[in-house]
Amino acid sequence: MTDPAAPDATSAPPPKHDPPRRNFFAEVASVLIGGLVGLVPLAAGIAFFMDPLLRKRSSMRGQTEDGYLPVAKLSDLPTDGTPLRFSIIADKIDAWNLFKQQTIGTVYLRNIAGNVIAFNDVCPHLGCKIDYKSSNKSFFCPCHASAFALDGKKTNPIPPRDMDGLTVRVTDGEVWVKYQNFKRGCAEQIALQ
Amino acid sequence: MNALLNWLDNRTGYKHLMQEALYEPIPGGARWRYVWGSTLTFVFSVQVITGFFLWSAYSPSTQSAWESVNYIQNEMAYGWLVRGIHHFAAQAMMILLALHFFQVIIDGAYKAPREINFWMGLVLLQIVLGLSLTGYLLPWDQKGYYATQVATNIAGVTPVIGSQIQQIAQGGSTYGHQTLTRFFALHAGVLPTLLVVFLAIHIAVFRRHGITVPKHAMDKPAAMFWPDQVLKDAIACLAVLATILFFVVYKGAELSSPADPAEAYSAPRPEWYFLFLFRFLKFEEIDKLGLAFGAIYIPGMVFTIIALMPFIGKWKLGHRFNVAFSFGLLLGAAYLTGLAIIEDQADPDYRAAVAEAHRDSQRAVELTRREEGAPPQGALALLKTDPLTQGPRLFARHCSSCHRYDGHDGTGRLIIVTEGEGEHKTTTPVPPQAPDLGKFGTRDWAKEVLVNYHELFAPLKNLTLENKNIGERFLAGDMANWVTENKAALTDPANADDLKALAEFLVQQTGRKDLEPVDATLADAGKAVFSTGKLKNGALSSSCADCHDPGNGAPLLVGYGSKDWLKRFVLNPGHADFYGDNNAMVPFEGKLSDRELQLLLDWMTGDYYRAEKAAAH
Repeated sequence: MTDPAAPDATSAPPPKHDPPRRNFFAEVASVLIGGLVGLVPLAAGIAFFMDPLLRKRSSMRGQTEDGYLPVAKLSDLPTDGTPLRFSIIADKIDAWNLFKQQTIGTVYLRNIAGNVIAFNDVCPHLGCKIDYKSSNKSFFCPCHASAFALDGKKTNPIPPRDMDGLTVRVTDGEVWVKYQNFKRGCAEQIALQ
Repeated sequence: MNALLNWLDNRTGYKHLMQEALYEPIPGGARWRYVWGSTLTFVFSVQVITGFFLWSAYSPSTQSAWESVNYIQNEMAYGWLVRGIHHFAAQAMMILLALHFFQVIIDGAYKAPREINFWMGLVLLQIVLGLSLTGYLLPWDQKGYYATQVATNIAGVTPVIGSQIQQIAQGGSTYGHQTLTRFFALHAGVLPTLLVVFLAIHIAVFRRHGITVPKHAMDKPAAMFWPDQVLKDAIACLAVLATILFFVVYKGAELSSPADPAEAYSAPRPEWYFLFLFRFLKFEEIDKLGLAFGAIYIPGMVFTIIALMPFIGKWKLGHRFNVAFSFGLLLGAAYLTGLAIIEDQADPDYRAAVAEAHRDSQRAVELTRREEGAPPQGALALLKTDPLTQGPRLFARHCSSCHRYDGHDGTGRLIIVTEGEGEHKTTTPVPPQAPDLGKFGTRDWAKEVLVNYHELFAPLKNLTLENKNIGERFLAGDMANWVTENKAALTDPANADDLKALAEFLVQQTGRKDLEPVDATLADAGKAVFSTGKLKNGALSSSCADCHDPGNGAPLLVGYGSKDWLKRFVLNPGHADFYGDNNAMVPFEGKLSDRELQLLLDWMTGDYYRAEKAAAH
């Protein structure tokens, strides 16, 4: 070789042609094995990424066995049925951490002549927090103007369903709520967990 | 289908690209020795893939790095697999780098016109070492933390700019949040990008010059890269992957306990591929020349010689020198690695430290698996408040100069003195001066006190100075004499139940949960023996109560061995309720903080969290 910097390939003899059968076998084997070695780490990674679907974990702790949490004293509620917002306090589980006694959500409570009803204050449309407008005694979502009557019925076509009611239990003057969140953006009420 | 592919080709020219990439003629035919570069590229791709997924679950801060890695490893679906592949592929890369390097050196592939590509390879080597170093810290476990401390401190002794480099790398003068964010940015961003760039250049330049064909293969028929060499490469990659998976399944990626700046990791060793450098720095002769000499100048010189190999190779015997030099390095590194391993294996302190580190890591995982999870300030707090972790350490620090715990110092280390050096090194156990407390408060302990008193308290003979008399008095005192008088009666098979009952009664006094269930009927029978001294067959020379009732001069046994009794005893063993004038033990009043004392007592009385699984057996 006179010039060491010249590419060797140019001086290489033209390749001989192997019988096509053997080439075909080598090609198939290469594709299969090459595919396999690439796929194994990728498949492992994707399976790992699917963890939220594969492993169900609860996001809170501290509720009773049937899912109730204490929210307020009955005496804290106005007796004329005006909605008041209350915090739901429980232990919040966030991946590897457990944060004790955190506000994990907020609800509206109404005392209608001794009968207590509760609404999750998350808008069923797209998950913003619904405000209570005392001026016109109705619920209103500041994001996309979903509006609801005091009984939670939707009053315009923006939200796909009524406000999400929550089951309530009153024991010894204490109001307990079965706190749940529901899938947003659909007409049916589907509990998230 | 063909029409679609043609449409695509018209717009992208992919066919030409594929042609370029795959239809490369290989003079002399496909060979197994050409696979190393491909396997390295493959393993790097594996690291990119698994690395991206790990990234999606990793949290770089001192309070969440270990916690998130532990979560990946032990809680998330297939986390052990993804992290395991990433962990062992990193090590496979080191071996493949070495193989690739040796193949290049032996085949003379570093020579003109391939000098530049050889240097590109050396740059890639440095980037991979950088990735390995930065990745090692990210789990923020004891092992990674202290191994990386060594590396950044070595960077710190670089002449002139050392301390600046160290501070920039650490994000401050000490390790903290910013060390992790910086290392993570390097590990997942900067270094992989550089690696991709240099790898692209490396491969492009390689393609320009083609493979370096060994002389004996020159006259063999050429073959195409596709599919002949690709098949060999693919099989090699499969073998590499299989090896990695083997280690993932049978060994698993390690995670030691959370990094603790306040507590030295007593078994600090770098990863195996850096062991030779670690051992090299330990030579006294090297140490004397200063850290910069051994850790920077020598490796720098070696690396310079390697970088100059293309020029050295031009000389008559240059190639032989290069090959000999490389193998010399390999042998030297292998020797030093072997030496480090053999020395460590022969060192009982090191082995105990490894066992302790292993226990700590298991315990940390066990504690985070409780319903409470890891506290927001980090999992380290769990270990700091865990009696099972801290008790043995406190025992070793405060008690083991006189007592032993199942023959060791509580943490598993033997108490020995080492004399001499090298082959003349001898180790002798230090005699204890007080009883072994490994079984303290248990049924076995109670029986030992009653029938094997002399053996149990024999270490008191080793007391010295002003305590010498006390030790002798103890072993010839009332209790010692009582045991001599009553041993035969208590070990009489006919009285076996009475001995058992006495032990049960004493264990009942401890109130310890870990010794439950206590047989109340048996304990009542024991109480009767305690106060009357009557046995099934005969009677004790005097009852226990004769001496141990309040005011009778011997230690009070009400609540004996309970946490409260033990606390009062440890704080002031010379109190009239305990040994009074006969006391030889140091009073610990003011020597331990309340927290330390509590941890020690909780551990000694078995009051600590046990995982469900452990409770079952």
